[in-house]
Amino acid sequence: MKIGFYPRLALDGIRKNRRMYIPYLLTCAGMVMMEYIILFLSCSGTVKHLSGGRTIAAMMELGGWVIALFACLFLFYTNSFLIRRRKKEFGLYNILGMGKRHIGLILLWETLLVAAVSLLTGLACGIAVSKLAELGLVNLMRGGVDYAVSVSWRSIGVTAALFGVIFVLLFLNALRQLRFSSAIALLRSENTGEKPPRANWVAGGLGLLILAAAYVIAVSVQDPLAALLLFFVAVLMVIVGTYLLMIAGSVTLCRLLQHSRRYYYRPNHFVSVSSMAYRMKRNGAGLASICILATMVLVTLSSTASLFFGAEDSLHSRYPRQLNAATGLHSLDDLADGPMQTLRAAWTEQLDEAGVTPTAVDDYRCATAAGQLFGSQMKLIGQDGMYSNMDSNYYSVYFVPLSDYNASMGTHETLQPGEALIYLSRGSYNEPQISFGPDCVFSVAGKLDRFIGNGDIAMNVIPSMVVVVPDLMAAIQPLRSLKDDSGETLLEAMWYLGLDTDLTPEEQSELGMELGNLAANYKWCMYKWCMISSREDNRADFYGTYGGLFYLGILLSVVFLFAAVLMIYYKQLSEGYEDQARFEIMQKVGMTKKEIRRSINSQLLTVFYLPLIGAGLHLSFAFPMIHKLLLLFNLNNVRLFAATTAISFAVFALFYALVYRITSNAYYHIVSGARAEA
Amino acid sequence: MSLLEVSGLKKVYTTRFGGSSVEALRNVNFSVEQGEYVAIMGESGSGKTTLLNLLAALDRPTAGQVLLNGRDLSQIKDSELALFRRENLGFVFQEFNLLDNFSLEDNIYLPLVLSGESYTEMHSRLQPIARQLGLTELLKKYPYELSGGQKQRAAVARAMITDPRLILADEPTGALDSRATDELLRLFGEVNRQGQTVLMVTHSVRAASTAGRVLFIKDGEVFHQLYRGDSTDEQLYQKISHTLTLLATGGDRA
Repeated sequence: MKIGFYPRLALDGIRKNRRMYIPYLLTCAGMVMMEYIILFLSCSGTVKHLSGGRTIAAMMELGGWVIALFACLFLFYTNSFLIRRRKKEFGLYNILGMGKRHIGLILLWETLLVAAVSLLTGLACGIAVSKLAELGLVNLMRGGVDYAVSVSWRSIGVTAALFGVIFVLLFLNALRQLRFSSAIALLRSENTGEKPPRANWVAGGLGLLILAAAYVIAVSVQDPLAALLLFFVAVLMVIVGTYLLMIAGSVTLCRLLQHSRRYYYRPNHFVSVSSMAYRMKRNGAGLASICILATMVLVTLSSTASLFFGAEDSLHSRYPRQLNAATGLHSLDDLADGPMQTLRAAWTEQLDEAGVTPTAVDDYRCATAAGQLFGSQMKLIGQDGMYSNMDSNYYSVYFVPLSDYNASMGTHETLQPGEALIYLSRGSYNEPQISFGPDCVFSVAGKLDRFIGNGDIAMNVIPSMVVVVPDLMAAIQPLRSLKDDSGETLLEAMWYLGLDTDLTPEEQSELGMELGNLAANYKWCMYKWCMISSREDNRADFYGTYGGLFYLGILLSVVFLFAAVLMIYYKQLSEGYEDQARFEIMQKVGMTKKEIRRSINSQLLTVFYLPLIGAGLHLSFAFPMIHKLLLLFNLNNVRLFAATTAISFAVFALFYALVYRITSNAYYHIVSGARAEA
Repeated sequence: MSLLEVSGLKKVYTTRFGGSSVEALRNVNFSVEQGEYVAIMGESGSGKTTLLNLLAALDRPTAGQVLLNGRDLSQIKDSELALFRRENLGFVFQEFNLLDNFSLEDNIYLPLVLSGESYTEMHSRLQPIARQLGLTELLKKYPYELSGGQKQRAAVARAMITDPRLILADEPTGALDSRATDELLRLFGEVNRQGQTVLMVTHSVRAASTAGRVLFIKDGEVFHQLYRGDSTDEQLYQKISHTLTLLATGGDRA
């Protein structure tokens, strides 16, 4: 008899509060499911065999930790909500003579039940869905499909262990709350008359200020590398700012409205403004959380989606031709003549032997160095100095002869001696001339929008300046004597060769290997280093990375969405319970049902759309910054990113509206339930 | 013509699936004249609250009618009921029913704001009432900062500010200590002497003994009524106690 008592009480408690517990159980199970799926993918054989599969597996493992951490935080949040609701019940047990130890036992059983149910259903669903998730990933990566269903015992173990720890923590937290409260406090906890919030100008103003500062950072940052560093700062600022603004700022705004008698004392403003002010203090944090979660979903989805859909673009800008050879020459003199010709001849011979006719060729020499730009003065410096002291006026400088430029681009530009064409990979150069020293000054004859494809320029985090000069050797003559700290000449001589062929991908990489082997034979006497990269060889890695990121983005978004939906639901519930009493009073005092419904409706809508609007605002200000970050991934397609962002937002807004419809039914159910009893 | 006329009032509650039915009021008849202060007494379950809900048009009677100022409440359309209540009735509840998100001032203004009054009009109406009820210093405070007595006085102010024909009070002293109870009853008496009609439902003999007339309800009917006549509060208190004893021991109608 005694054995079944506490479990029965616990079960009863859950059943009686099912409106609260079912979503909680669903979320727990959902989190377990996602955790299992992501861990499953991280060790699935099928995924490992995909091209780029190892990258994906590593990413999924990382994602597993992110989800575990998030699940921990989020379940704590929802659990505290449940405990608050149930304190009254526990207070009653306490008064009826049940010791805290016994209540602790009920809590223990309750936790065990919740843990068991959510782990079992979560893992079952996880196992069922994991194959689907795997197929989705494989399909995304264009890999071979395999329909055998498998179960990863290791993933089950890890998931169960992780969530076991989380549930133990939740239980301890509930005990802690129980310990520090007396029976009377437990009984009353739900309706302690909360004081209406005062306007907090400092916090509200601070929130506005922090948010504005974060926006300014996001919009004004120019340099992708600075963007990477500042991004996390900005994210933190946006989070802090959003919380402050939603909690304190909204109250302050309502208070401000209340001060305007003409506005406030109108039938349709009176009730809604004052109850909003009252409500915001408690729900502001929830709203801010929803807003931030929404922003996270949108940022994750839009950026990973554009990375994935722009993978081909990135691949092409990183590897402009099917085969790309970059060769570092021993001396600047080699640019004029000599070893380079020998190597080129050897390669050409090899191509002829293989019967390959290139369909397109980029073939150009250049002298390159790092430089710091002051107005129209470019001061050349050593490469080392550049990376240790990152600033926005650093450039990689390339001097390219006009003849090579025209040949590769198929153009017919002409230049007089002392003139130059300027190309900047990012930004624009508007001075009439460019100076590299007292006797090395060019007048800018034109600005180029495009330059010959160059993977080094594409992947460089520092912007590049290309100076196309009529005579390379003459142009760099005054700069040849410049030395860096270790006595090396600043200018380095390089030769780029890019080839497109009509070979199949396999043949392309084979040819790349052969050319590389051939080059190796000539090493040391001909060149310092030579790198041949095949686009096809790198395609798998690219898609592996970006596809994996995109997939991870989708999975994380699903988790964040779970969380946001649950928060919205609990918000509606708690507001429903709050409004129940208010609804009755207002009706007795002489408010018509229609008036009440209208005022509550407008409130709900305002409160409901606030996070969505906030997320939209955050997203639009984050846009330029994320665009800069994507440049680091060689993605420079603003339209693609804008499109994925807009689509993400539209889909999210639709989903959000749907959730609202469903959850607001729960709200009206509570409120109208009160009417039936009255 | 009486201000309030109740005749043949009957209310039967049926459970949702029509199983059993409970007769809360069987046949209630009485009237209230302009300027009267009437207390309705009865034990728990005698139908007091049902009666009040019918008088307030919060509920509709099964049979019979309630005429306020000659107007039949059951003839008023649903959509106009709230408006009618706002303009003709003031309410004071046991649990005060102040909204905790409003300051006292705003709580009192609530019915007027709903009627679209201007702030200056509301403000000028509030001043004398606030002075009389001793609320002037408290207007900017919120309900959570106040004692029960102060909250109940604010509720009275809210009931009075629309200048209603009738104030309905449901166990107004039920949640108050004895000092606050005395203070509130004194205020009811004072308001009544200024011409305000008050109808109070209570089971406190102390509260009923301040009224001008006491109606007793038992088993859904008006069982008996007492007029103050020349009695003092104490004498009326004795009479009420006596009547209640009779009621409880099941004596016949006096």
